[in-house]
Amino acid sequence: MLGIIDHAYDKCIKCTACVVSCPVANSTLDFGGPKHLGPELKRLIENREHIDDPSVELCTLCGNCNISCPEGVPVTTYLAQAKALHAEKSGTKLRDKLLSQPELIGKIASPLAPITNSVLNIKPIRKMLQKIIGIPAERLFPKYNYRSFNKKYKQKTAKTKHKVAYFTGCYATYNAPEVAEAFIEVMNYNNIEVAKPDQKCCGIPQLANGQKKQAIKNAYFNVASLLEYVSLGYAIVMTCSSCSLAFKREYPELKIAGAVELSQHVYDASEYLRMLAEQGEMNKQLAAIEANAGYFSPCHLKNQGIGNPALDVLELIPNYQIQDLAAGCCGQCGTFGFKEEKYALSLMIGAAMQYSVEELQPDYTVTECGMCKNQLVQLTKQPVKHPMQIMAEAYRSFHLQQSE
Amino acid sequence: MFDVIVIGKGLTGMLSAIWAKAAGNSVAVVHQGSGRIVQSTGLMDILPGTDGNIDELIQAYQLASLGKDVIQEAVSEFTRLLERLGYPYSGDIYSPVEVITGSGHLKWTGLYPGTVVPIPQEGSAVIISFSELGDFQASYVQGNLQSEREKLQIAAVNIPLGRRSARTMTQLDVARLIENSEFRNSLIQKIKKQMSARSLAKPNFFVFPAVLGVGNWRVVVKDLEDQLGSPVIEAVGMPPNATAIRLSEALEKELIRVGVRIYSDVLVNACEVVNNQIKEIRMISGKQQRTLAAANYLIATGGILGGGLEVTLQGLRENVLGLSINSDGQYLESFENLLTVGASQGKQVTRYGITGGIYSIISSFCAVKSLDSFKGALYAHPDPSPAQKLAHEVLESEPRRGD
Repeated sequence: MLGIIDHAYDKCIKCTACVVSCPVANSTLDFGGPKHLGPELKRLIENREHIDDPSVELCTLCGNCNISCPEGVPVTTYLAQAKALHAEKSGTKLRDKLLSQPELIGKIASPLAPITNSVLNIKPIRKMLQKIIGIPAERLFPKYNYRSFNKKYKQKTAKTKHKVAYFTGCYATYNAPEVAEAFIEVMNYNNIEVAKPDQKCCGIPQLANGQKKQAIKNAYFNVASLLEYVSLGYAIVMTCSSCSLAFKREYPELKIAGAVELSQHVYDASEYLRMLAEQGEMNKQLAAIEANAGYFSPCHLKNQGIGNPALDVLELIPNYQIQDLAAGCCGQCGTFGFKEEKYALSLMIGAAMQYSVEELQPDYTVTECGMCKNQLVQLTKQPVKHPMQIMAEAYRSFHLQQSE
Repeated sequence: MFDVIVIGKGLTGMLSAIWAKAAGNSVAVVHQGSGRIVQSTGLMDILPGTDGNIDELIQAYQLASLGKDVIQEAVSEFTRLLERLGYPYSGDIYSPVEVITGSGHLKWTGLYPGTVVPIPQEGSAVIISFSELGDFQASYVQGNLQSEREKLQIAAVNIPLGRRSARTMTQLDVARLIENSEFRNSLIQKIKKQMSARSLAKPNFFVFPAVLGVGNWRVVVKDLEDQLGSPVIEAVGMPPNATAIRLSEALEKELIRVGVRIYSDVLVNACEVVNNQIKEIRMISGKQQRTLAAANYLIATGGILGGGLEVTLQGLRENVLGLSINSDGQYLESFENLLTVGASQGKQVTRYGITGGIYSIISSFCAVKSLDSFKGALYAHPDPSPAQKLAHEVLESEPRRGD
C-alpha cells in the first residue's frame, strides 16, 4: 500500500465546505467530490480493502478543498492517494503517462521546436492526435522553445550576499525560457546571482495522473539536490506556482526526508522579492509603466498561504494599475485540460475566468502559472505575462532612462 | 506590515475586511477554511432562535452604549453593500418576520435576501420538491407549514430532476443545474404537468428549496415567476444553501477585487505581545512557520462554532492568539490594537452558539469604525451616474420582492 499512516481525516466533520468550493464538483455531478473521495473514503478504507471510484480521475488536485476546509484536513493528500490506487488498479492511459512527463516531452520537443510548434498547429494532424491518443484537436498547446533554458543557462553557483538557487520547472525550461530569463534579470538588478541546481520535474503532473511512485522519486532527487544549496545559504526560488506548492506542501505531506526543512527555504519569485523589500534590500528603481492589468491568481498559489505577493511587488511600479480578477479556477488544471474526455469540462470551469476578463477588460493579464496562461490564451483575447516579465521591464526601462 | 489583519473569513471577517479596506486601510485576511457562512442560511437573524427584535438584542447582548444610530448606520451600510454587489436584502430590524425553513417550520429573521419572502397568514401555496434531493420533502414541509399557518391552503408537488449524481446531491448542486435554461424549462414543464393533472390552481406563491440559481439567481427567479405565474420563494434548509453561497461568493469577490490580501489555509496559533500591543501573529502554513504584522488585529473566528474558541474539559480555550480568556471566552487583558467581532467576543453575544447575522454586521461595522486609521465615511456616496440612475429606475418600475 502507498498508504500514509495518519488520522488527519478524523478531523473532517463532513461540513461540505470542500464540495462547495470544488471547481469540478460545481461543474459536474459525475465527480464524487473532495469530501467523499478524500477524507470519507480514507476513513472507510483505512486498514481495509481499497474501494476504487473511477470518478477520482476528475479531480484536478487544484487544492481549493484544502483552502476551504475549516478543520485543516489535507484533502488533496487523500485524493492523490485515491488517484494512485485507481491508477494501480485500472492502469494508466499512454496519453496520461505522456502528459505526466512534461520533462520528457520537453526534452524531445524542444530540440525540434520549429517542427513541433508547426506540427501542433496542423489541423488534420491534431485530429489524428485526438483519434489516436485522445488529446482534443481544439486545445492550444504552449509553444516549445528551440533553445531551452537548460541550453542557455548553466551557472551552478552564486557568490553574492544573497544567493538564489532557481528551480526552473519544466514550463520555464522548455516552453517559456523568457520567464526564466526575466527572473534572472530581476535578481541581477538586485545584485543577486542565480544558480541553477540539478533538478527533475516537481512531480505535480505525476500526482495528478496517479503516478505517485514517479513523483516520489523526483521529490527525493529534488530534495537532495536543493538541500545542499540550503546548507550553503541559498534561498530556493521558483517562478512556477505549482512547483513551489510541491516543495512547500506536497513533499512534506509525502513524508520525503528533508522536505520539511527544505520547505522553510522555498519562495515564489514575487514572495522572495517582497521579502527583500520588507528587509529594505530590494532595488526599487523601477520605471513607471502605464498599464491596466488583470491579475489571475493560480489555485496553487492561493494554496501557499502567502497572500498576493505578485500584487505586492507589482504595485511598487509607479503608475501601474493591477486588479485581481477574482476569477476562481482557470479549468486548464495542468494536464487535465489536455484530455479529450475532460476538455468540455475544462472550458466550463474556465468560463468564469473568461467572463471576468471580458468584464474588467484589462490591457493584458498576469499570472504565475504556465498552465493557467494556456487557458487564458485559449479563452481570452489579451496577452498573458508573468509577474517577473513586468518587473524586469520596469527595471530595464529605469536603467535605460538613467543611461540616456 | 498591514494596517489591519483580519483573522477569519466568515461573515464577520469578510465584512470587516471589506469595510476596513473601504476606510482606506491596507488589509489582510488570514484564515483556515471558508468560514461558517458556508453552513449558514444567509438570513440575518436578530436574536437567534427567537422572535426578538433589535431592542431585545440590545438588552440581551448589552449593546445600549453603542447607540441606536450606529446600529442603524451599520445595517444600512450592509444593505447598501449587498445592493451594490447584486444580492439585495430587505427587512426591518425593529420588526422581525417569519420565513420558511426546509422543514416547513417558520423561523424569525431580520434581513432576508431577494429570493426569500415572509410567509403570509393566508392564501394558497404550492411546495415543490425534487425526488433526488433528500433534504427537502414537499409533503413533510406541507404538514409542518400547515401546523403554523392554519388558514393557508397548501399543496405538495414532488417531481424528479432526472439527473444522477455521483455524490449526495445538495441544494447547491440543484441551484447550479437550474441556471441552465434548458434544464429549468424541463422542470417548469414537469411542475405544470403535475399541477394540471391534479387540477391544482395557480397558488399565491410557490415554495422551493434554496435552489434558485447562484450567480444568475435573478434570471432564474424571473423565468420561474414568468412561466409559473406566481412568486417563488426559497426555503432555507440543510447546508449548503444557495442563499448563503450567493452571499459568500459576492463578499469574497468584493474582498479580492478591492485588493484585500488573502492568506489561505493558514493556522494562526500564537502572537507576540509587547507593551500591551500585539506585535505580530504567528502562523503555520503547511509545515512552514511564519509571522505577519499589522497595526491592528481583528479577531473574527466565530467563537466556539467557528473554531476560535474550543470547549475542553478544563473549560474554554482560545486557539488563535494563545491568550488567556475568562469562562465566557472574553480576553482577560485588553490590548490597544486588538478588536474582536461577532461570536469571537464570547458567549454573552451568542444564543445557541450563534451570534446572528445582525450582530455580525453591527460588531464588524463598529470594530472598523473604532480603528485609529478610520477615515470617516466608509464609502463616498457620490451622485449616481446616468447609467446607475437608469438601472435604479428600471429596478423601481418592477414590482419589488419582499414588499
